[in-house]
Amino acid sequence: MQTSLHPLRRLRDLGGGSLAVEVDGPIPATLPGQFFMLRTGERWPVLLPRPFSLYDRADDGSWGSFLIKAIGPGTRALADTQPGEKIWLTGPLGRPFPPEERDPICVAGGVGLAPFLLLARQRHRQRQRTRLLFGGRSRAALAGIDDFAGIAEVHASTDDGSHGFRGMVTALLLDLLGKGTVRAGESVFCCGPDPMMVAVAKVCEQHGLRCFLSLETYMACGYGVCNGCTVKVQGPRFHGWPYSKTCTEGPVYEACELVHDH
Amino acid sequence: MLTTSLASLRLRNPVMSASGTFGSGWEGRTFADLSRVGALVSKTVTLRPRHGNPPPRIFETPAGMLNSIGLENKGVDWFLADTLPKMKSLGTTVIVNIGGEAIDEFVVLAERFSRAGVDALEVNLSCPNVQEGRLLFSTEPRLTEQAVAAVKRVATVPVFAKLSPNVTDITAIARAAEQGGADGITAINTLIGMAIDWRRRRPVLGRGIGGLSGPAIKPVALRMVWEIARVVKIPVLGVGGIRSAEDVLEFLCAGATAVQVGTAGFADPALMVRIVDELPSLLAAANVTLADVRGALHAAPAAAPAEGCARAGHERVRG
Repeated sequence: MQTSLHPLRRLRDLGGGSLAVEVDGPIPATLPGQFFMLRTGERWPVLLPRPFSLYDRADDGSWGSFLIKAIGPGTRALADTQPGEKIWLTGPLGRPFPPEERDPICVAGGVGLAPFLLLARQRHRQRQRTRLLFGGRSRAALAGIDDFAGIAEVHASTDDGSHGFRGMVTALLLDLLGKGTVRAGESVFCCGPDPMMVAVAKVCEQHGLRCFLSLETYMACGYGVCNGCTVKVQGPRFHGWPYSKTCTEGPVYEACELVHDH
Repeated sequence: MLTTSLASLRLRNPVMSASGTFGSGWEGRTFADLSRVGALVSKTVTLRPRHGNPPPRIFETPAGMLNSIGLENKGVDWFLADTLPKMKSLGTTVIVNIGGEAIDEFVVLAERFSRAGVDALEVNLSCPNVQEGRLLFSTEPRLTEQAVAAVKRVATVPVFAKLSPNVTDITAIARAAEQGGADGITAINTLIGMAIDWRRRRPVLGRGIGGLSGPAIKPVALRMVWEIARVVKIPVLGVGGIRSAEDVLEFLCAGATAVQVGTAGFADPALMVRIVDELPSLLAAANVTLADVRGALHAAPAAAPAEGCARAGHERVRG
């Protein structure tokens, strides 16, 4: 872990309001699902940095990128950064997707795609396949999908049918279960909006798939000192403690570890 | 050059962490050489484990943040066995912050930590996130004095009392802490605040209210440090919104002997060391020493009826 300033190399427009924010290295070796806290070096408009999964990284760490959609003042400031201007990076932080999973099925929605490019790239280098299910409202919402060409087996879904399977990504997952492309006993890695992750976890539970979710929570520090990003949990990993810090014990949890209060 | 005497402690410099914002220091050890900070103050330790408050626990507000963590910690047994040795290994002064709901609890904690060889204790009389928002000790001079006196009877190390700003007159509380035998006053804890999501007609924080910290409270903290420093003889540890070496010198000028960096360290875990690095050049550029600045605030006019007078007062303060 380190905190350091990195010049912006370029902003790559991925469409649909999403950008790959590419910074100069050195970017430390990072496991898929781990994240960095980002803030601009100058004119950061808010107090706290914002967490982002590492989207891509040069093999030698000479550059790295983050998938960002400008929706608030922090993300807008990052999107407005000019090449050469500097960005503070703190990381890599957090617990990654379980690296020992041999053939995971990645399920992504929106900027939840972020952790999976690094995963697909690392697996491709080891000549392992990666199945990616990527859902959005329309083709425009599938920002970043082209980056997976040649390194992952991509199954896209759109609500309006403008690209790939027509329907939600959970329907696509059920369709692939029916076709035998996905089988009971396999593991799903999922990242996306909360309602989507809840729905995916439910499908997994019903069809005998293990399910790992990468959560996005409100964080102040990212390195385990603010105790602000906790979620309610259960299971042996937490030794009876009801809360878990997503920054250090997450952001990846097995779905059965999370407790929903309703 | 930055060496600072604080009660019987001799600190490398006047910059320390604020309780609850830097864990035990261990979590931040990879980001900076923490042996270079003046002291590390632990997150509040209680007698028994506390699970803390339901999420959401934090929310960013203009130039600040609200928190309602609720003193989540694994209790004194865990802290002594697991955390304190790590904290001691970081190579700087170790101050443990203790919290309790009754005086007996403070006493047990003070005894155990004195025996465990910490360098000092900070007594958290002022967490706004427990006791259903009732600030048990630090809103009552008599209880403040009793709690501090009880801790002092058993403590073998300096005891600092951390006070709440959520009172009408903080000087009365500070005097009570001094009367109880405190070796120093830490001021201020967070200001009680609230954020509301009107669309859901609900408070944003799980517990409804929380403590406001960050640059937004710096002017309040400066004012209270200045008020306290004028009425007590014991040292004041200034805390509230500090994020630069300039801020540190403002607090020292107001009368603080040392300062604590809190919320700003969330954004930059290496900030304290960066501030320590910047202080000498900042002082050199102004051709002064720490001693020249400390408590050196020229008296402001008692009242500033017109804008012109206020400005004149401001210039005098800047000297």
